[in-house]
Amino acid sequence: MAGPGRLLFPAFVTLMFAFLLAPIVIVVLAAFNSGEYLTFPPEGFSLRWFENFFQNRPFMRALGFSLRLALWVTFVATVLGTLASLFVVRHARRLRDFLRVLFVAPLAFPSILTGIALLIYFYAIGVGTSGGFALGVGHVLVCTPFVFISVTSVLVRFDSSIEEASRSLGAGPFTTFRRITLPMIKGGVVSGAVLAFITSFDQFPISLLLSGIGTTTLPVQLFDYLRFSFDPTAAAASTVSVAITVLAVILTERFVGLGSVYGEKR
Amino acid sequence: MASIHIEEVTKRFGAITAVDRMRLDLQEGELIAFLGPSGCGKTTTLRMVAGFERPTAGAIRFGEQDVTNLAPERRNVGMVFQNYALFPHMTVTQNVAYGLQMRAVDASEVTRRVEAMLAKVQLNGLGDRYTRQISGGQQQRTALARALVINPSVLLLDEPLANLDAKLREEMRFYIRELQREFGITTIYVTHDQSEALVLADRIAVMMDGELHQLGAPKEIYERPASARVADFIGLANLIAGQVTSNRDGAVTIASQWGEIAARGGSELGAGKDVLVCVRPEAFTMSEGSGAPGLRREGDFTVVTGQVRELAYLGSIVDYQVEAAGGLSLRVQAVAGEEFPPGSPVELRFPAHKTWVVGSKPVSGNGPSV
Amino acid sequence: MVMLFFFFVLPYANMLYISFLTRAYDEPYYHVATLANYANVLSDGFNWEIIGLTFWFAIVTAAATLALSYPVAYFMARSSSKRKGILLALVLAPLLVGVVVRSYGWMILLSDTGLVNQFLNWMGIGARKLMYNQTGVWIGLIHVYMPFMVISLMNALSDVDPELEKASRSLGASAWTTFWRVVWPLSLPGVAAGTVLVFVLSVSAYVIPSLLGGYNVLTAPLLIVQAVMDLFNWPLGSALAMVLFAVTVGTITLFNRIMSRAMKGIA
Repeated sequence: MAGPGRLLFPAFVTLMFAFLLAPIVIVVLAAFNSGEYLTFPPEGFSLRWFENFFQNRPFMRALGFSLRLALWVTFVATVLGTLASLFVVRHARRLRDFLRVLFVAPLAFPSILTGIALLIYFYAIGVGTSGGFALGVGHVLVCTPFVFISVTSVLVRFDSSIEEASRSLGAGPFTTFRRITLPMIKGGVVSGAVLAFITSFDQFPISLLLSGIGTTTLPVQLFDYLRFSFDPTAAAASTVSVAITVLAVILTERFVGLGSVYGEKR
Repeated sequence: MASIHIEEVTKRFGAITAVDRMRLDLQEGELIAFLGPSGCGKTTTLRMVAGFERPTAGAIRFGEQDVTNLAPERRNVGMVFQNYALFPHMTVTQNVAYGLQMRAVDASEVTRRVEAMLAKVQLNGLGDRYTRQISGGQQQRTALARALVINPSVLLLDEPLANLDAKLREEMRFYIRELQREFGITTIYVTHDQSEALVLADRIAVMMDGELHQLGAPKEIYERPASARVADFIGLANLIAGQVTSNRDGAVTIASQWGEIAARGGSELGAGKDVLVCVRPEAFTMSEGSGAPGLRREGDFTVVTGQVRELAYLGSIVDYQVEAAGGLSLRVQAVAGEEFPPGSPVELRFPAHKTWVVGSKPVSGNGPSV
Repeated sequence: MVMLFFFFVLPYANMLYISFLTRAYDEPYYHVATLANYANVLSDGFNWEIIGLTFWFAIVTAAATLALSYPVAYFMARSSSKRKGILLALVLAPLLVGVVVRSYGWMILLSDTGLVNQFLNWMGIGARKLMYNQTGVWIGLIHVYMPFMVISLMNALSDVDPELEKASRSLGASAWTTFWRVVWPLSLPGVAAGTVLVFVLSVSAYVIPSLLGGYNVLTAPLLIVQAVMDLFNWPLGSALAMVLFAVTVGTITLFNRIMSRAMKGIA
């Protein structure tokens, strides 16, 4: 690139990054701003919107429910996704490609349609949407593929001869899994679990459709709130939700090191 | 230690027969190399002995014990994998100790035996390294140590040297041979490298298309191949087409289109049978020649006159391409010394006892077949 | 696998089935087969208008994200691995934040008294209506789906060996010609993948049109949810969903066919 291109090009790229990050930064700024509306320069620092948020019962209930739901969904999705990946990579012979597509299919289908299909289905089989079972199933459905993809990407790097080596040295299938396979794929499992947690915590379309009474998630509550007003209490709610996501990522980074998941290739 | 008996073992994957009615007995302490091109069934056979695959038919015994349906962890085999299959999340010491821990050996005993084994394979001081932090050769020795430390009844090696560079590979051949002798373990060594098999093995089992083609000592396999394919796969071979005219207790006379050849062969080769004559490149005695190009018999020798077309200097030996009459082209290897430049007329003599008759199935390959 | 069958395959099959049933008022539907729903969907010009608008949104979003993301992806693909990692984290960061939150961020920026309008006033241009209309939806859709495009382009561009560009230049091609004759054709697989992904996501976008469009902009997913949730007309909603689904799959198939012709010899 010659002449003005040398400058224009990085400038454009910087602008695009600003564009990508702007709304998130703005939300956080608005949450700490004391005024009703965000102005430039900001009016002053205040925690009153957070106070508002923490005193707002529907928000608090939704936050609590979202967290509980996300934890359950993460647990179930992690177990299912890991098992599915082990099965597909290590055991499925002829059906392997078909199964691989099948397990990630829920990601390829528009989640709003999946939500509707599940809604109708759960009423048709007489379960309905109360109690959060339907909601949980919906979330597991869209979260499991992340675990599956993540574990699979690690698993395919390890030849099955490593497990065979363990067997030949006298370890049974269970011991081999516990001492060899699991430690090797740990990184993939953990990063898959984090993705599942974040996906569940932020999931909107399926939650909207499958929420019953008392099972409203934070994004849905936020959405409802924003339909009528958008005072910075919503910004505080958003900031808390962003903070939880960031916390999840940082904690994993600290304890497992997400880098190690992909670093081992080198 | 145990003998290994492979009894009429067949393995099919869907419609494909990977191993077809294989029958082979290994004596205690013997090292047999399974040699063959890729896809010949040698690795599948090894995996059945290890217990990773179950035979479709047939049985496998270690000594008196039938292990056909025994899980791999209960067979007490030591196995070295082509990619070594070292546990990436464990140190060298932990890798070697793993098998002993599985056998519930107590901790101090484990430490003692692992240390002794690491010393034996010259890895002392590297025990705390992770396996990706050591060189290929060291990884290879770790894999060997891990397999041997458990005192296995049989040792299975799957192309263990394939990932090493040429020089290290040569060294390791002798090293493995020594180690195997010392431990006296019945060993199956899978390889596609014929020179490896020739150096290492007590006996070689040549496998092709899922079948055992020939079983014998390295010298026997090399000098008396059972078929043109075996001759072509192991070493270089000149294959000359002809017909048996007489066979007296293995002293065979062959009529080729260039003249009569004196050879040796199995007594089952009757007169009139179409055959190929196998002559190794180093079987020729080469001298300055004269006279018209051609092939003639002189008692127990066959003499070819021709012209050097090309030569390649390989250091200790010289590789010639010699053109005789009527499109008969021969590959000749002679000890370096007096060289015959391209165009020089030469005479090649080869004795009947280095001329082996094999079945007439033509081979595809790079050996000059006529 | 069992779970996938019961909670994924069956529900979709069920939806297909219900789309052929008769609408009822005292219960969700009668078990009477009918094509009325499809007739309803297909004959109503309003529905087609909305599907058309939805597709128009999706196509423009795909094209715009492609144009905006290409330089970014190229820049990232040619960065050192360390800088690439940081930039990748920045691109992925928005994906970790819920779409509702991001929409809300845009609402703050774009509202009548929002920062952008404050800035426009200050510049003397005067406030514009940027939200609760199509403009808001454009901005939101492009923003939300751009990371997907950047990532698929970057993967493709990382596979294009920089040596190829040098080779092209050494053969006398200008930077511009090198781009069009070497880099662009080789990046087509990424372009195709990113475009399809963004298109599919945009077609089924729900949050952006409802929050930033403020119900002044009606797209197909909104219509479907309305039919199901507000009107309780499940058969009609299902039929609508199926039609949207079919048209989307059809469009992608067509697109892939065109692209695979363009990519002969690459993929």
